[in-house]
Amino acid sequence: MTDIHKTIVVTGVGVISPYGIGLDCLQAGMLSRKCCLAPTQDVYPGFEGTTAQVRGLSLPADDSSYRYSRTDQLAVVAAQDAIANSSCDSSTFHESGVVMANTVGGLTEIDTGIAKDPAAWYRRPRRLLRGASYPFAHVADAVGEHFGIHGPRCAISVACASGAMAIALAANMLLDGAASIILAGGSDPLCAFTLSGFNSLRALDPNPCSPFDQNRNGLNLGEGAAVLVLETLARASARNANVVAVLRGWAMTNDAFHTTAPHKEGSGLADCIRLSMEMAEVGGDAIGYVNAHGTGTPLNDIAEANAYESAFRGRNHPIPVSSTKSYFGHCLGAAGALEAAVTIMAVRSGALLPTLRLTNPIESPGIDWLKGEVKRQPLPLAMSVSSGFGGGNTVLIFGSGRS
Amino acid sequence: MTPNSPPVVITGIGSVSPYGPLAGLIPQSPLEPRTITAWTTAGPRRAFLVQPFRAASVVPGLKTRRLDRLSAWALVASSLAITDAGIDLDQVDRSRVAVVFATAFGCIELTEAFYLSAAANGWNGTDPSTFPETLPSAPASHVSMFHGLRGPNVTVGNKYFAGETALIQAASLLRHGQADLAIVLAGDALAPTLYSWYEVAGLLSPACYSSEPLPEDGGFIPSEGVAAFVMESSGRGAIRSDARSYASIRSGCWAAGGQPAEIIRHMLGGSVPSLTVCSGNGAPCATSPTTALARAISGDGAGIILPQPFALGLAGTGALFHLILALSSRPHNGQAALLATAGDGGFAALLLELL
Repeated sequence: MTDIHKTIVVTGVGVISPYGIGLDCLQAGMLSRKCCLAPTQDVYPGFEGTTAQVRGLSLPADDSSYRYSRTDQLAVVAAQDAIANSSCDSSTFHESGVVMANTVGGLTEIDTGIAKDPAAWYRRPRRLLRGASYPFAHVADAVGEHFGIHGPRCAISVACASGAMAIALAANMLLDGAASIILAGGSDPLCAFTLSGFNSLRALDPNPCSPFDQNRNGLNLGEGAAVLVLETLARASARNANVVAVLRGWAMTNDAFHTTAPHKEGSGLADCIRLSMEMAEVGGDAIGYVNAHGTGTPLNDIAEANAYESAFRGRNHPIPVSSTKSYFGHCLGAAGALEAAVTIMAVRSGALLPTLRLTNPIESPGIDWLKGEVKRQPLPLAMSVSSGFGGGNTVLIFGSGRS
Repeated sequence: MTPNSPPVVITGIGSVSPYGPLAGLIPQSPLEPRTITAWTTAGPRRAFLVQPFRAASVVPGLKTRRLDRLSAWALVASSLAITDAGIDLDQVDRSRVAVVFATAFGCIELTEAFYLSAAANGWNGTDPSTFPETLPSAPASHVSMFHGLRGPNVTVGNKYFAGETALIQAASLLRHGQADLAIVLAGDALAPTLYSWYEVAGLLSPACYSSEPLPEDGGFIPSEGVAAFVMESSGRGAIRSDARSYASIRSGCWAAGGQPAEIIRHMLGGSVPSLTVCSGNGAPCATSPTTALARAISGDGAGIILPQPFALGLAGTGALFHLILALSSRPHNGQAALLATAGDGGFAALLLELL
């Protein structure tokens, strides 16, 4: 029997992505299989590649005492959207928690001049405020201050698993009674620093990426943010909230293997998947869809395929898997939160999105690589998988709010 | 996290600080800021600095050449804490060991180096080996890799209370059964961009410019270092009958606002700690809101351990050092609060049992 005090539910989803603002906008774009990846040259001089950018949207402006980095701006827009969709007014969030993930922090506000003479750089107008936005925790404060939220705040930065881990830790906090409602998610913008870094590692595909294809050639970076409103089922029921989805299980592990490469057998990720299913008290057959990490890099995708083969061994049918990074790129610290939103969208709509440009998948008999058309089927449970540099893995399992 | 939850126990301490790399408590001795020589400053500038040391001389076999100093210190501090706890990792299920790391500024030294390489070579000419080491989570990742720890690996930030947040998050992982043992770390390293920001913002104490005694300092003296705790669920501590216990964490809370006294009393669940260990944000504790809040919670008769300037200089990541230095001063056993306030920035509090 469900313990409504220990059941974590999603009562709002906010998104800003290259498709625009809102989950409906994301859903419409993805169901039409629109790809947001496009040739890009303006992130820094000399860069030529493919990214997915948020363009043409109104973002929060600075005031005299507060500087929003682009990370902060994206986070605030996603939080605003989440609050608007949570069927409660903003005063409900006065005492709520904020757990926001990112990797870029305020690096968008800083240029190379800072390294040569930092004191001179800071003495220029408003540069102190720019510098103040550098710590990765700033985004949690930006969201908190913007909405007048006074509950516990923190930021999470665990590379590309950040957004998913923020959701997992927020769920722990709700069970602990640290807050009664929490805004949790991730935000990351495109910036010269990270694009240069991935470029230096030769991890970027110059063309739109092809996750899980045998001819995959790397990843594309994207930008965006997603924020979930999380609370216990007891609290949501008490205020008659619309339950969008149930967070049935979550788990976190580490490969303890390499700084940038996953364990080639995907053993840490496989353990994480098993632990999340243990928490959800379900077996592999219960999972109807996996929204994969699926970056498109040679090392990640084979490790991930091995993890699915291991964790779902014994299933009656191959596990359906796709990577939606083929639509809007890898949004780093936001990726896990955005893909959680996509997974919730799949559970709500029963639409299993294919991986775009997947023609010749990795040979994995236990995996049903989704490609071509959108599949539709009832989807009681779906899984969102995130991994990152440093070996971090986080897995979230979402169920239908109706269940 | 309430007082009714099973307590988690701190069984090991390690640190890298201006006191040097140390396992266990820190010997009581005065600490003076040192003049910065690692980079060029406009005149003498002082801070509480970690003196260079060979990591391999402390932890045999440890290689840190390409790492940010913060990563290197995290590796050393975690190793010392594990040693201090008397844990043989070969006897531990390493998939059940979590790492929780608190930092405000992450690997700022190599972030600067990456910017310098971009300035020199253009963004298309940056160093691939440096980039992954600039991530705020790199220190925690190295701790997991070096020790083979495959449980949750979390890097957490919080403007004022990152250390307290890390302790509470780690306790939460243990209580939810998501790990049996946690290595909790907190710290930061100083670099020109950070020190200059403090200076241009007017936050530095006059003691950063002069070694002359000053009556009532405003501002603070920046610090650097990493502290590490081994934390175990009480069930596990009971199994390890030979484990030393420094303190147990009974409960904790933090918030960015609201009514601190009311929220903390609720967290204490009727307990009235006889001692408050002030963590803090640079304000002189004797007259600070932290002391006033401590008295509001525990009454005028309760003891207060004032923060030491070195730990104050770590800003949001000083909580573990505040606690180590307080434990090193040999307080009486019993209930204590670790308490920090930050004006409009909120507060954090943990209920401890000193053992």
